[in-house]
Amino acid sequence: MNILTKVAVILIPTLALSMSVSAHDPKLHGKKAEKADCSKMDHTKMDMKDPVSMAMMKKCMKQEKHATEEKAKMDHSKMDMKKEPKKEVDTIEG
Amino acid sequence: MNKIKIFIFTVVLVVVSAVTVIYSGIIDVAADEPHGDLVYWLLEQTRENSIEIAAKDIDVPNLDDAEMLLSGGMDYQFMCASCHLSPGQKESDMSIGLYPAPPNLTVSHQSHGDKNKVDENKVSREQFWVIKHGIKASGMPAWGKTHDDKRIWDMVAFIKRLPSLTAEEYQIITSTD
Repeated sequence: MNILTKVAVILIPTLALSMSVSAHDPKLHGKKAEKADCSKMDHTKMDMKDPVSMAMMKKCMKQEKHATEEKAKMDHSKMDMKKEPKKEVDTIEG
Repeated sequence: MNKIKIFIFTVVLVVVSAVTVIYSGIIDVAADEPHGDLVYWLLEQTRENSIEIAAKDIDVPNLDDAEMLLSGGMDYQFMCASCHLSPGQKESDMSIGLYPAPPNLTVSHQSHGDKNKVDENKVSREQFWVIKHGIKASGMPAWGKTHDDKRIWDMVAFIKRLPSLTAEEYQIITSTD
């Protein structure tokens, strides 16, 4: 078998399999709710009078506010940063 | 007298033919077997005219509103995108498997082959009617049974802007809070 035949033998079934995967991607079945990816928002290209731009801004501001509130809820003063996580050790009682 | 006999014979023939077709099972109802051109044309014309007449008196509110896009976007993502697709998507299991194929709402009406100038108000009120009432034997549900008019108009507002959205814009608008 020359190299070309070997490549064809490997490549053709691989391509056929990958095509069938794209036609029925199981990932799409259990698609979970996603957070807005606001890092891709380009403010310089946005028309702030356009409802689409306004909707994006509202969504990202709401998400940022929510994240800040969540962070504020954490009371760092009560946290012992030096404390090591508990280890569950079986003790032998005699 | 002769004319009456011919009329009665014709009526009987039509009824017998219809009963034979219904009970013989010769009509193929499989979704992977398309209709002939004539049947497709008949069903399409019937559907389009029915929607046009039913929706003609619906008043369209102002749809250029950010809050409407946010509400409609989330509903579209969870209720419609699997069949009517999202930006960058060419097909899905549902869009391939359903017959008649659900329209790809990420492309404009001109891309669907409408050469005439599109009446945006007519499109919006017909979309509202279809979302609210659904279409028999097509896979399109009647969302009006579980969603109020305001939420349906929000979806119409989002669908109006959908063909112009990039994948990034779509992701942000349709994501959860």
